[in-house]
Amino acid sequence: MIITRHFDEPKLHELETYRKLGGYEGLSKALAMKPAEITEEVRKSNLRGLGGAGFPAAAKWGTVPPADKVPGPRYVVGNCDESEPGCFRDRVHVERAPHQVLEGLLIAAYAIGAKDAFIFIRGEYGRPHRALQTAVKEARAARLIGDDILGRGFSCDVMLMRGGGTYISGLDTALLESMEGKKSWPRQPPPFPTNYGLMGFPTLVHNVATLAMLPHIAARGGEWFAKIGTPKSGGTMIYSVSGHVEKPGVYEFPMGTPLRAIIEAAGGVAGGRGLKAVIPGGTSTPPLSADDLDLPMDFDSVRGKGSFLGAGGIIVLDETADMVEVVRLIIEFLSHESCGQCTPCREGSVWTERILERMLEGAGRPGDPANLERVAGNVTGRTICALGDTVGIVLKAYLKKFPEEFAALAGRNESVMRQEATANG
Amino acid sequence: MMGLLEAMRQVQEWHRCVTLEDEAFLAGLFKTTAAHVHEVATFYPAFTAKPVGRHRVGLCRGLSCQLKGAPRMAAYAEKKLGVRDGQTSADGRLSFETMECLGACDCAPALTVDDELQGAATEALLDKLAAELK
Repeated sequence: MIITRHFDEPKLHELETYRKLGGYEGLSKALAMKPAEITEEVRKSNLRGLGGAGFPAAAKWGTVPPADKVPGPRYVVGNCDESEPGCFRDRVHVERAPHQVLEGLLIAAYAIGAKDAFIFIRGEYGRPHRALQTAVKEARAARLIGDDILGRGFSCDVMLMRGGGTYISGLDTALLESMEGKKSWPRQPPPFPTNYGLMGFPTLVHNVATLAMLPHIAARGGEWFAKIGTPKSGGTMIYSVSGHVEKPGVYEFPMGTPLRAIIEAAGGVAGGRGLKAVIPGGTSTPPLSADDLDLPMDFDSVRGKGSFLGAGGIIVLDETADMVEVVRLIIEFLSHESCGQCTPCREGSVWTERILERMLEGAGRPGDPANLERVAGNVTGRTICALGDTVGIVLKAYLKKFPEEFAALAGRNESVMRQEATANG
Repeated sequence: MMGLLEAMRQVQEWHRCVTLEDEAFLAGLFKTTAAHVHEVATFYPAFTAKPVGRHRVGLCRGLSCQLKGAPRMAAYAEKKLGVRDGQTSADGRLSFETMECLGACDCAPALTVDDELQGAATEALLDKLAAELK
């Protein structure tokens, strides 16, 4: 365990306790290195973006243009707009260890030469926001934020910003729009935020969990971190486990740990019932089957099964789960959160939601599954951001994995009529 | 216009809503058009055109919370708090709304009051809130 190691420490959120447990030693070490040396350690560590995309962190840093090529400010933004259903680890993390996030933020700022860093936290996170506010105040008083940090000549300020309650703001380009005081409509990349970010300046956006790994990489070296995970994905993943399990909560495991071990750590399926499916990375990721329990959990292995590790929001579904209702809830969420910028997503999400609703109300038609499939295909790949893709990908995955459940609702009226007709001769 | 959302959040806290007059004021403050401010105010669910209650009670309707009895708790909350989903009590004391995933699937079905997580919604917790929220 790396970032959750001291989570049981009741006063971990206080600077004094955090420092006693080795906090800010990573920053101290990092400031003694050259920025390029830190990037090299991160490259060796195989750290990947833990917000869901799994993009290699060092490669992202490499796309920030050097100051002699593109002068002017550059920024770092910690993304704590955790809104994917099934994900809550950032909430727990920021509330218990806010300094760990700040320390990582400062290291990233030093590495790319940013003098201003931000944490964007969702508006509904009242307590975690206060924890961060207090931590920023403490760190500023201890000269860990501000001018001449730790007397090493590096200056960086940190500002907190709160979201307005939309899921889409968690996407990097939408988040930047929100920070700029606009509605959070995603931008069409390229250019990517590392080239054209906040107010048009190079901006490095990372999930707060990714940032929190940096102090440990700086303190113990990239090779140490790489050894913990798989050859392509270093370190650990922090999972939020919920749904039909005995002990929902936050669990940290090395990359590549089998799904079974994670579900067992959460006490297994609740009530000893049978397992039907597991959502691996939040509701936007296609479900895995009950016989996928030996799957190593890392970005590439989960991808090989047609799903995504996402932000590690594992939802366990037992044998009682109605999968058409599950996917209806997911689509209902996406249609509610669709920002409305791209027509296929805005319309497709609502249409499919209505079809699913009708099926569940007992008015399913024989052509419904094929129609859902068709609309799903018309959304995916035709929108600016991944929300639209998700509508299509998730719908198709559930249709493919649980066809009999859809068929049972689709054919209900007709098949009952046919059976009766046959019985009556 | 950086900081517009933060300023708007403050206005929402003070007035319990963001009116057209507030929007015009913010537009002046941020040197932008009233149309832009209106667009922002109507895009984000944190801002409301009509006053919300002194306390906003939120119940999560995310998947994990639905699996753990959110619909039953929503019905109980409506009865106990005397407010329908999305409505505000006549005395302006409280609003109740079911909300998209609140990021608290570990205490499903998650209940918040004014963006503060209260824990898993139970009949006892809702009874307590109905009596205590002033």
